[in-house]
Amino acid sequence: MLKTTGVPDKALILTRFPDDVILGKPKAITECYEPIPCNPCETSCPFEAITVGEDINTPPKVDFDKCTGCGICVYNCPGLAIIVAQLKNDKAYFKIPYEFIPMPEVGETVHAINRAGEIIGEAKIEKVTLRKKQDKTALIDVSTNTELIHEFVTIRRMR
Amino acid sequence: MKKEDVILCRCEDVTLKQLHDCFDEGYTTFEEVKRILRIGMGPCQASTCSLLVQREIAKYTKQPLDKVKTHVIRPLITGVPLGSIAKEAKDES
Amino acid sequence: MKHVDLLIIGGGPSGLAAAKMAAESGVSSLIIERDTKVGGQLVKQTHMFFGSEKQYAKTRGINIAEILINDCKEHDDKISYMTETTVVGLYPDYVVTVMDRNHKYSKIKANTILVATGASEKVLAFENNDLPGIYGAGAVQTLMNVHGVLPGQDVVMVGSGNIGLIVSYQLMQAGVNVKRVIEAASVIGGYKVHASKLKRLGVEITTNMTVKSAQGNGALESIVVQKLDDDWQFIPGTEEEISVDALCISVGLSPLSNLLSMVGCEMKYVSALGGNVPVIDHSHETTVPNIFVAGDVCGVEEASSAIVEGYYVGLIIGNRLGKTHPHYERLIQDFTQQLDNLRSGPFGEKTRSGLAQLRGEQHA
Ligand SMILES: Cc1cc2nc3c(=O)[nH]c(=O)nc-3n(C[C@H](O)[C@H](O)[C@H](O)COP(=O)(O)OP(=O)(O)OC[C@H]3O[C@@H](n4cnc5c(N)ncnc54)[C@H](O)[C@@H]3O)c2cc1C
Ligand code: SF4
Ligand code: SF4
Repeated sequence: MLKTTGVPDKALILTRFPDDVILGKPKAITECYEPIPCNPCETSCPFEAITVGEDINTPPKVDFDKCTGCGICVYNCPGLAIIVAQLKNDKAYFKIPYEFIPMPEVGETVHAINRAGEIIGEAKIEKVTLRKKQDKTALIDVSTNTELIHEFVTIRRMR
Repeated sequence: MKKEDVILCRCEDVTLKQLHDCFDEGYTTFEEVKRILRIGMGPCQASTCSLLVQREIAKYTKQPLDKVKTHVIRPLITGVPLGSIAKEAKDES
Repeated sequence: MKHVDLLIIGGGPSGLAAAKMAAESGVSSLIIERDTKVGGQLVKQTHMFFGSEKQYAKTRGINIAEILINDCKEHDDKISYMTETTVVGLYPDYVVTVMDRNHKYSKIKANTILVATGASEKVLAFENNDLPGIYGAGAVQTLMNVHGVLPGQDVVMVGSGNIGLIVSYQLMQAGVNVKRVIEAASVIGGYKVHASKLKRLGVEITTNMTVKSAQGNGALESIVVQKLDDDWQFIPGTEEEISVDALCISVGLSPLSNLLSMVGCEMKYVSALGGNVPVIDHSHETTVPNIFVAGDVCGVEEASSAIVEGYYVGLIIGNRLGKTHPHYERLIQDFTQQLDNLRSGPFGEKTRSGLAQLRGEQHA
């Protein structure tokens, strides 16, 4: 239960995913379910793919036809509530926001983590991007098993 | 609960037990308990304890919190050395 | 005695915003700030803010402070500052008494006064609540983000409002182990996006639970937490001991309104706004004419709304002093709309009902 534990139910999560065919291309998954006064996802998307609207309390909605999966909204969301997901070559690819140091390295194997904070498998770091305009929130490209497409949300480094 | 270990006012070291004892003696307004216990009269001038005391008074007197009379705030809101005040008075005149 | 047109007590986001608008209107102001520098709560906020871009959303708090301070710098001829100076008295003849870092005490007279003193952290009463190692969440944030000092290694956070959730995340970023966030109410208080962010890191959030007592020999070593029923009564037999070396309390803020009570402003206890707040009209003027308020002091909210309120009141004060901003009408309308927009969701409901109560209006 999102309200009592911070973990959204599976059914709720699925409302934010397009079907697997559409996911052949990278798409933004906005896990922002509650009306809060916020809209940087909308204003930061260069392709006008996210709509919040006049009332900034409205939760965001993604137009998957317009979304290119560029990941710009991922590091612009103050709630760190957006990831980009894709199914390609029998793997699941993600772009996630990351704000911990030290940063993982490309090629590193890390734990795949679900929304409850549990380890659900392994993932591989594909790319780490941290440009000045990202204002300290890194964008990490990571790959994992396709079965984890709806489960994976972040990484944890193995110590 | 060990009421004597629950601190309400850190500046003057007043505990929940002292406050409840004070209520039992019939002093149930902020101004009264302030005069007896010095609660809220330390350096922070009740910024820490006022809500806690108000809540205890509300519970004891069985009134809603917003009906409990708040304490009167007098200058100065923090400790000022008397020498500083004297110096200012001299400089102004 | 020094004499100023507009005296602003508190250099947080609302005070700075007001100074800017007043300056644009042609009014000179003096900001008095008790801290070593202006910026208020923002200087310790390392996270990105919410809101819309007009209120600098997605910018980190500390950088928003920079923006506001730089805006004020453009009006150097109109805005002056006294930092490390505390206002200790406010009197009905529009005189304030101040004490600076060297304990120098002096008086200043003003035509109009804006009280923008913000809020202070609420405390909790429980056994041994005075043990070293028990902090307010804001104090921990200052310790960590301003001074670079960690409060401890194993921490429990009491309170799941935005501040509790954000500070927990920042503790984890600093390498501190947040063992649990506990919340007395039956649901998480803050934005769920913050809660989910923490949960992903493996931090447990438990609702219907509070801290019962603290133990330790000279310093905090452990706490006992206990489940609560829906009437906030302890459920017997549900005690649980957790070993921690720091406990962080984040159970809300209450307006720092004592200067207003002192000067005789009519006050009201409105729990939705955080505690004792001044009765105000739509121009943010208190019942003592020419004494205005903005920001958390008149209702605990967010920096976004504190900034907009500051701008709004800055315009009104300019107008009051006979110096009307060239775009007065348009800006007033814009700021009113921004505030309405920020407060229109379920999280703004508290503020809306609180304000209605304060103004003696019926609230739908
Ligand atoms: C941990 C935390 C996280 C937050 N996160 C967010 C967020 O994500 N988004 C958001 O919008 N808001 C957030 N806020 C809230 C936001 O910081 C406050 O709402 C905002 O700072 C209020 O502005 P203000 O100007 O009213 O008061 P403040 O920022 O508190 O400033 C008041 C100033 O007045 C000074 N002062 C007080 N009394 C005196 C006196 N007697 N004499 C002289 N000076 C005095 C103080 O030193 C202070 O500098 C957060 C707050 C905290 C504590
Ligand atoms: S991933 Fe890129 S295109 Fe898609 S919504 Fe985000 S910013 Fe827009
Ligand atoms: S920026 Fe993030 S938190 Fe804000 S509305 Fe968009 S998805 Fe939600």
